[in-house]
Amino acid sequence: MTSKLNTVGIIGLAAITSLAATPAFAAGTTAGTTITNTATVDYQVGGVAQGQQSASNNFTVDRKINLLVEEVGTVTTNVVPGQTNAVTTFQLTNSSNETLDFALVASQIAGGTAAHGGTDTFDVTNVRIYRDNIATGTVGSWDVGDTLLTGYVDELVVDTAIRLFVVADVPASLANNAVAGVTLRATAREGGTVGAQGAAITQTAGANTAGKDTVFADIAGVTGDAARDGSHSDNDDYTVQTATLTVAKSSRVISDPFNNTTNPKLIPGAVVEYCIAVANSGGVAATSVVINDAVPGQLTFVPGSILLGGTYTGTVPSGTCDFNGTAGGSYTAPNVTGTIATIAAGAAQTLVFRATVN
Amino acid sequence: MRKALFLLFAALLPGQALAANHVALANDVFVERVTTDAQGKQRILLEEPKVVVPGDRLVFVLNYRNAGAQPADKFVITNPLPAAVSFADAGDTRPLVSIDGGRGWGQLDQLTVALPDGTRRAAQPADVTHIRWAFSKPIPAGGSGKLMFRGVVK
Repeated sequence: MTSKLNTVGIIGLAAITSLAATPAFAAGTTAGTTITNTATVDYQVGGVAQGQQSASNNFTVDRKINLLVEEVGTVTTNVVPGQTNAVTTFQLTNSSNETLDFALVASQIAGGTAAHGGTDTFDVTNVRIYRDNIATGTVGSWDVGDTLLTGYVDELVVDTAIRLFVVADVPASLANNAVAGVTLRATAREGGTVGAQGAAITQTAGANTAGKDTVFADIAGVTGDAARDGSHSDNDDYTVQTATLTVAKSSRVISDPFNNTTNPKLIPGAVVEYCIAVANSGGVAATSVVINDAVPGQLTFVPGSILLGGTYTGTVPSGTCDFNGTAGGSYTAPNVTGTIATIAAGAAQTLVFRATVN
Repeated sequence: MRKALFLLFAALLPGQALAANHVALANDVFVERVTTDAQGKQRILLEEPKVVVPGDRLVFVLNYRNAGAQPADKFVITNPLPAAVSFADAGDTRPLVSIDGGRGWGQLDQLTVALPDGTRRAAQPADVTHIRWAFSKPIPAGGSGKLMFRGVVK
């Protein structure tokens, strides 16, 4: 038999005030919590209130292991050859319902496409993992105040995200746009002991118990990191941005003692103008570019003839030198020397000087 | 007159001994799992709450029965929600709910929540703190029924 319910409500319909905000439970109820639900019955028999009846049930909230490793930002880290302490940034979030340790491994991808395109062609060295110190230094960026980790994050509380820096050194002699991919993988470990890495966690297999079981709930990470394995990972990469310099030398005859500047010939006494063009086809500017040229013994340098920072038409070395610039440089027999402060990526500059034929 | 005396006597007693056998209430909880088979059909399974993690949907089932010899009147079942469970719905059982810890009651769609800026918004299932079913008719002797509601583990 069924009973009709009073759908109007017998206690009153007055609008009810509640200022309590609904709390956010991203990771949820702490593992091991016992949830007890109790229902009570009030009733009357023959118009007389009877004793209240109640019934309860309870169950234990199990442990959900969930974590997220994310690269911060979606750009590669530009590095130059020989750079030390090149930084890639990751974020680790504990979305489990229990405080846990997280084992960390920073590994290098071997070949294949890196996180931001390009093919992995080299490995960085001296790879370290730092945890951002949010109390001192530059919060969110790597600095000397950050904590060097020894393979794990200790006691990361529920619903907390921390910033991790993978810091590495870049080998010298690398070509422009060379790429090194790195992977940061975090694996949940038992929490509870401060200052020591907890034991590995396994998912409760087979028949489950009424106590606290463990369920892996993480999503798949990079290739090879499956969903629901208690770990998560993400890729980032380093891209070499270096100056690639090309040098070309050209010359022209300015004048000779007989033809002067009209169709001059390379006879003794003729003035020859040399142009050393330096082009930068790399990704970043080259600075303090020192150009050195030894004047051949058959020539005599024309004092004060050095012009620096001139232009070049076309692509070095197939274009032509414009034989211009501003006075500068120095001559210490037999070398002509000039320093160009900056050659921007994709630009070319020249050093021009004159000499007479002996 | 004999009956009235009997009831008076009953009311003067501690009461529990008499009432204990009048109404039986059972309270069960299940985890609701939705699985999709190879044909894409969804199946809903109710499982024992062995593996329960935050986000799981729970079904609470209350079975009641009047085991006494007389009708049970003013029959009210009250169920405070466990702190770690967020109310979802109560099927078609249309319970009264409270969103302020049991002080005020009403249908969920008639309740509002004050916002800090002085306006009010409609109450949401997540605001519910208590559920109550108040029966308008007596439960006859031997009568029984079942109530349910759903919640989500926070």
